[in-house]
Amino acid sequence: MQLKRLAIQQFRQFREPFELVALTPGINLIHGPNESGKSTLVRAIRAAFFERHRSGTVDDLRPWGDSAAAPTIDLEFEAGGKEWRLTKSFLQRKRCDLQVGTQRFSGEEAEAKLTDLLGYEQPQRGASQDRHWGIPGLLWVEQGTGQELQQSVEHAGDHLKSALNSLLGEVASTGGDDIINQVSAQRGELLTGTGKPRGEYDRIAKQRQELEAQLSTLQERIATYQADVDRLGELRRDHQQDEANKPWHVLWQQHRQAEERFRHVQQRQQEQAREQQALESCQQTLGLLEQRREEMSEQAARLQKREKEHESACKAHAELQAQSPQLEQKEREAQQAYSAAESVVKQARAQSQREKLAQDVHRLQARLDTLAESIGKVRGYQNDLKSARAELRDNTIDEKALAALRKTCRELDETRIRLQVVATRLRYELEAGRSLSLKGKSLEGSGEEQLLEESELHIPGIGKLSIAPGGEDVSKLRRQLERLQQDEAAQLGKLHVTSLEEAEARAQSHSKSLENLRRLEALLESAAPKGLEALCNEEADVRKQRDDCRSELDSLPSTEGKTLPLREAEAALQAAEKALQSAETTLREHRTQLAMAQQRQESARKEWQALDDEIRAPEREEAAEKLAQQIRNVQQQQSALASSLRERQAEIDQAQPDFLQQDMQRLSASAQQAEEARRQRALELQALQSRLEVQGAEGLEEKCNEVAAELEHASRRYQELHRRAQALDLLLDLLQDKRQALTRRLQAPLQKHLDRYLALLFPKARLDVDENLKPGAFEREGELGHMEELSFGAREQVALLSRLAYADLLKEAGRPTLIILDDSLVHSDTERLGQMKRILFDAAQRHQILLFTCHPENWRDLGVAPRDLRSLRSEFQS
Amino acid sequence: MLHHSKCGFDAYTSRGGTSDYNDSAKHTHRQTSNEMPRFLHTADWQIGRTYNRLEAEDAAALSEARFAAVERLTSLATEEGCDLVLVAGDVFDAQTVSDRTIRRTFNAMAAFSGPWVLLPGNHDAALAESVWTRARRLKAVPDNVHLALEPGVLELPDQGVAVLAAPLTQRHTYDDLTAAFDQLETSPGLLRLGLAHGCVQGVLAEDIDSANPIAADRAERARLDYLALGDWHGARQIDSRTWYSGTPEPERFRNNDAGYVLVVDIPAAGAEPAVTAHRTGQHEWQQLHETLTVESDLDAFVETLATVPPNAVLDIRLEGEITLAGEAKLEQALSEAEARHRSLRCKRSQLRLQPTEDDIASLQADGYLAEVIQELRAMPQEAEDSPAREALAILAGLLRERRADSSSEASSSREQASPEPSKTAED
Repeated sequence: MQLKRLAIQQFRQFREPFELVALTPGINLIHGPNESGKSTLVRAIRAAFFERHRSGTVDDLRPWGDSAAAPTIDLEFEAGGKEWRLTKSFLQRKRCDLQVGTQRFSGEEAEAKLTDLLGYEQPQRGASQDRHWGIPGLLWVEQGTGQELQQSVEHAGDHLKSALNSLLGEVASTGGDDIINQVSAQRGELLTGTGKPRGEYDRIAKQRQELEAQLSTLQERIATYQADVDRLGELRRDHQQDEANKPWHVLWQQHRQAEERFRHVQQRQQEQAREQQALESCQQTLGLLEQRREEMSEQAARLQKREKEHESACKAHAELQAQSPQLEQKEREAQQAYSAAESVVKQARAQSQREKLAQDVHRLQARLDTLAESIGKVRGYQNDLKSARAELRDNTIDEKALAALRKTCRELDETRIRLQVVATRLRYELEAGRSLSLKGKSLEGSGEEQLLEESELHIPGIGKLSIAPGGEDVSKLRRQLERLQQDEAAQLGKLHVTSLEEAEARAQSHSKSLENLRRLEALLESAAPKGLEALCNEEADVRKQRDDCRSELDSLPSTEGKTLPLREAEAALQAAEKALQSAETTLREHRTQLAMAQQRQESARKEWQALDDEIRAPEREEAAEKLAQQIRNVQQQQSALASSLRERQAEIDQAQPDFLQQDMQRLSASAQQAEEARRQRALELQALQSRLEVQGAEGLEEKCNEVAAELEHASRRYQELHRRAQALDLLLDLLQDKRQALTRRLQAPLQKHLDRYLALLFPKARLDVDENLKPGAFEREGELGHMEELSFGAREQVALLSRLAYADLLKEAGRPTLIILDDSLVHSDTERLGQMKRILFDAAQRHQILLFTCHPENWRDLGVAPRDLRSLRSEFQS
Repeated sequence: MLHHSKCGFDAYTSRGGTSDYNDSAKHTHRQTSNEMPRFLHTADWQIGRTYNRLEAEDAAALSEARFAAVERLTSLATEEGCDLVLVAGDVFDAQTVSDRTIRRTFNAMAAFSGPWVLLPGNHDAALAESVWTRARRLKAVPDNVHLALEPGVLELPDQGVAVLAAPLTQRHTYDDLTAAFDQLETSPGLLRLGLAHGCVQGVLAEDIDSANPIAADRAERARLDYLALGDWHGARQIDSRTWYSGTPEPERFRNNDAGYVLVVDIPAAGAEPAVTAHRTGQHEWQQLHETLTVESDLDAFVETLATVPPNAVLDIRLEGEITLAGEAKLEQALSEAEARHRSLRCKRSQLRLQPTEDDIASLQADGYLAEVIQELRAMPQEAEDSPAREALAILAGLLRERRADSSSEASSSREQASPEPSKTAED
């Protein structure tokens, strides 16, 4: 497609007609400063195609304030080998005319031609929006939107694909998407997105389940009904049989017979019981009588026995009596042994007392001795102390005075030394034999003299020399010395010593005496801490104690012979006591036994006596005879009864009364049961009959058949829907798969074109086209990312590349391509812009490109002459 | 075998002749007429039968048709001057049909005022509680209708007959209930008519119910003039005196001689009965099972379908292969037949849809749609649950629709767009 001429009038800032002619294939660079009308020209081209001429919402097209304007655009272009001329005016004069070659179209028909040609849509109403723009939206880049690619590709999607169908004619499908939509819609009626049944399919499935449940309920009820009918038949048969046979009558008859027999047996049993009682009383009487007889025969034996008993009691008594003296003797001995043991213990105790006292005396004596020694020592210490104190008194010296003396002596020495130092020295070496006299002292040989005062040196043969030592110091020192000497003498006198040394010696012996005194005091303290008096008192006490003990010891009688130790003696005493107790107990018991034996002997004798008296009584013989007679009578009576009883028992046993009783129970129960069964059956019959009547009226089987039919229909419908749902599912899957496969095949050529451009801008980079023909993943030098993540500038560049690639693809598919760039690439640096220019130049070999810019200097090396919009306008005006 | 009449109540007799009515000497007991008795023999009404496998509407109509059949045979009995009607069992399809159904049945019989003898069969056996006891409780049974609920003899001296009935008193029995007929005595001068429901031993090709047996020579052994049987749903002669009447209205795809009642004349005591079959059935039940392999098979099937008498109940099963064009043709034929008949069911899941290249070309499916069609064709279709066949049919349908749309569009747009350039020159 090549735009050749563009003319507008009454269009925004172009109130007057303006014409842009001689547009060439390839790049057309139109420049001008801001507000010079570039964007208005772009808007004019877009309006010519996109806006419906009837649109009422294109007020922005009219010049400002000119409500009478009819914005008009006139375009001439070549496409598909034909010349096209489009004239479109809006608002005041709504009109669209199109001439294609020699054909003319107008109004909506003309607009439809254009949408078909370029691949876009017109809005149903209102202004055209980006979603309508289709392919031109992709190739005509508005100012400032160059980087926005995704949206444009989406809007162009269907047009792109249909445009590209010719490229891949053999795989694309006409109306394939419609079919997919239809299949999807039909599937949607039966299945949810996740493949679960919905709508009628779901309803039928549920209905089928409900019907199945209903059916099985009905079938169960029918089965019950039929079983009931069978039961009814059975009951009726039984009932009729019973009514005919009346089985309970027979049973009652048998029962009566059994009862009669049982009553008879019962009578016999009562008789039996009566006789049995008689027999028992008979036996009792006999027993008593025989007992009597036995008793009588036993009396003699008893007498003998009692005699024996009496004898043995006497014997026992005698034996016990014999034992008495011996036991008494033993008791006495035990008494004696105890007394002996007691006296031994007493002796042992006395001995023990003596020993203790002797020990005390000994101990006290020892103490007394110690005390006497201590007292002696103390007295010695006291004497020593007295002499030590005297000694101390003798050596007393005033310590302060001594210290003062020491000081004075030290100062005296110092003063003397200083005096010698300041003294005038007279050294002499005299010739042998000659002498001098100094202050009367003769000097010979050699030596030195110190002169402290004016001295006269008398040189023999010569005369006298008077030497006076110079300076005040000497006289001052001499004065000090004299004063000190006086002090010393006074202090010595005070201390009653002649020299310091003597004073020091006195002080030494004083301290020694003091030490001796202290030592003695300590010794005294240790020997008699409480003083001598306390010691003497104690001694007196101890002495008294010793004397007491000794006198007590002497008062105790001395023991002869050997005594047992106390402990052994006491143990012996305890043993003796025990023995004594035991002997006493034995004796006591023995005496009790003896008394009892005596009593027994006495009572045995009395019993024997009584029995003996009785046996010898006279009426005894007669009574024995009478008793024998009675016994014989009773015995006879007893045997008669026994035989009668035996006979009757045999009779009773034969009748088997237990079984008769059981027979009665059994027969009566059976009869009752038979009657009860009949009653029950009659009831059940009635109940069953009425139940069946009610149920029969429900028409169960008919209902069941109806439900079964419904179920059958529901199942069939369900199967149909199920099959259909599966088929639609399968079909949709297949269709979508194939369609996607097709789209993938369209990707390849686009990728080819894109790669070509991309290699110039970003060598070694890669931009992948996705299934929707959108550029997506971007890879550069190992970095993976998405196109959206690039910088603004780079995004615009990549978007432009992509647009050019689409254009190439469309061109290959024989579709018209016109590229319009309004102030593009303003964010590109010089280097990138250079590459982009190479790319644009390359694209311009295949497509017409209208490039509007306000920076003509950036585009100088595009190889085309820039056209200045301002000069074009002024040219045209003129 | 019976010969079918196409429509109406065409009659024929078993001996190809009409009855001989002149022998009246032995029927002195008849007061109203000296003619020998003529009676109508029917059975297996199966009132209350439902048809699960048919569409609800069809099933309802067929249930209704059973009452209609009773009404028709009632009119026929009157028209033919029958003296009584014998119904040999299975009047009702089930014991617990609704009260209304019971009443309607007896109402449908109202037009014939002569005596009816109804025999319980295996479906409506005379149990302790049965459809019959209910009918009596409902007071639905008119006086002229005799219910043979107990075995024995029912003498109808006015009609000159004694009916020996062998009702089923259990659902199934393995004894021959008609054996008692041998010993049953009837008043002299009355015709002995046996009435039983069951399966004649060793005669019927398939034992419908091996239970309820009936000896093949019962009529002879029991000295019967005629033995009226029920249970076999087609009209069928067993011997010269023994007949199954079959059901008056067919209700299943077997027993193709169903849909008749028999009018029986007994010319003289001891003479062989003259039996005439009258068609009462409205709906013929037919099963068509075809395997289509070549195109002419389909044509043959379509022709067969066209020859089926109208109002039939059809069950069609097709197997083999069919082209898309064939499928369209089949649809057309089935659609036409559906309108002509009472009920039509066609099972085609075993009929493989095999579009030819022409088919596909005619669908104008290009690009990936064509690929999808190829893929579906390649998928197995035999399996009952294979969705491929259905999917292919749906896709073909959509494509055909689209083609129809686009061709109408195309033709209209051709009209608009076709003009020569010269014609569209400036107006």
